[in-house]
Amino acid sequence: MRDNTLKYLLVLPAVLVVFATAIWPLVESLRLSFTVGRLNKPNFPQGYLGFENYTWAFWEEPAFWNSVWVTGIYTVLTVALTTLLALGLAMLLAPGGRLRSGVQTLLILPFAMSPALIGVSFRFMFNPEFGLFDAFFGAVFPPLADISWLAHPQLAFAVCVMADVWGWIPFLTLVLIGGLASVPPETIEAAQVDGASGWRVFRDVTLPQLAPVLAVVIILKSIFSLKTFDQIFMLTNGGPGTATQTLSHYIYFNGMKYGQIGYSASVAWLMVIPMIFLTYAYAKFVFRKAS
Amino acid sequence: MTGRQKKQIINAIQIVLILIAISIMLIPIIWIFLAAFKNHVDVYQLKLLFTPTLENFGVVFDAPYYLGAKLLNSSIVALVTVVIAIPIATMAAYSFSRFRLTGETAMLVMILATQFVPAVVIILPFFVMFRDIGLLDTRVGLILVNLAIVMPFAIWMIKGFIDGIPLDTEEAAMVDGSSRIQVILNIVLPMAAPGLLTAGIFCFIIAWNEFLFALILTNKDAVTLPIGLALFKGEEGDLWNLLSAAGIIIMLPMFVLALIIRRYFVQGMTMGAVR
Repeated sequence: MRDNTLKYLLVLPAVLVVFATAIWPLVESLRLSFTVGRLNKPNFPQGYLGFENYTWAFWEEPAFWNSVWVTGIYTVLTVALTTLLALGLAMLLAPGGRLRSGVQTLLILPFAMSPALIGVSFRFMFNPEFGLFDAFFGAVFPPLADISWLAHPQLAFAVCVMADVWGWIPFLTLVLIGGLASVPPETIEAAQVDGASGWRVFRDVTLPQLAPVLAVVIILKSIFSLKTFDQIFMLTNGGPGTATQTLSHYIYFNGMKYGQIGYSASVAWLMVIPMIFLTYAYAKFVFRKAS
Repeated sequence: MTGRQKKQIINAIQIVLILIAISIMLIPIIWIFLAAFKNHVDVYQLKLLFTPTLENFGVVFDAPYYLGAKLLNSSIVALVTVVIAIPIATMAAYSFSRFRLTGETAMLVMILATQFVPAVVIILPFFVMFRDIGLLDTRVGLILVNLAIVMPFAIWMIKGFIDGIPLDTEEAAMVDGSSRIQVILNIVLPMAAPGLLTAGIFCFIIAWNEFLFALILTNKDAVTLPIGLALFKGEEGDLWNLLSAAGIIIMLPMFVLALIIRRYFVQGMTMGAVR
């Protein structure tokens, strides 16, 4: 067979799978977002509404705005905290040696944990009677001793953020260690010879050279933070009330619990929009690296 | 203070910080491991010394939990997903790596982008369709949607490995009269085998840990392990010793697999944006 035919035949199955499992549902979701789409009624999707689902979300649903707000704060906090802590840890671990390499290996473990299980484990750690972290915080800050974390809106949110940061630090740290390894040591040594302090070397030499890797990490983490569902579902299930209800959870709840597929598809599509920008930014980095 | 002493102190501080950090990272995992071997009285106390028991592992596989059925579902779904995804991804990856195709960048961007589509967006139409054609609560349905999250990773990861294989041997074989298919089967596949295995393990972990699809599509027959965790919510609250035992069954195999491919984890997750 000629290469010219073969090369297209080789990619065909993959492209078909991606179309069937990702592109089709995207388009179909868009179509459903303009319909009534009630699961529990006959003749699904029961006619077209135009943009009514969207306007409903915008003007009639405080719960939608609540989940936008929760997701926004959650994303900003988890991205900032994970990146900063992972950068610190990466700086500590980058020099290598037996202890540091061993710790790098151990970092794989939390990363291989299912996010649902991370949710369970943090619910365990913050159990008011026998949770280890609950006991620890109670001992360090006595005012927190008698508080049931997951029953308190802001504290439950804080636990969700902690669980997320905990789960993502290993991955970001490993990426940043890789990034630090590609910073030429001569540039750092030259700055040190010039008498620059440790902080100045970091700020003026290391950080600028690490910028592309940091950008990739921040984009990627933002995408995953915006999508967060698994831990939240297992940890708080959006509660107490709707204090920790992220967009994904809101969509799940409206679609699956209330059977409002049309409405939840419209919210889902509102969520796709920021993803398009982030993916675009991400793709630029991937292709710059490839070329 | 001499410069040498100062260096030693800084190093000591760093080591303390590293030990604190790794403790925080490992404590929740260790706590689950301990709780899995505690009986239901000890688990409700913060104690480190207790008589270990294997009882919990027996209970979770028994009525009414039947974790064995979930274990089987998880294994079959993850394995079949990988077995379908890897050959398809390898073919595509080879073509993307070795040829110039019309619309190549568009296709690669599309594949990359699908990875970032929120799972809730994908699952709504699939739920409706599966309801109509009777694929709800089946392993087949779960495998189909899992392909959506696994394929982009597999294609990009394997492409990275094939990019790293030098062209010389392939060209030499072509000059000697081998066909392209023979070259792929006899030269590229053996050389790419470690990469394919790595990508396969990586995809297996993703499929194994997948939560949202299984939550929405299954309720009885095809329930997977992560969804099975919800079983251990009793009348009187969470049954932590059982949850922990189930947690170990979920995470221990993944720990082993992750350690095997740890060198490629970063590259896989970032699709080559960071090497």
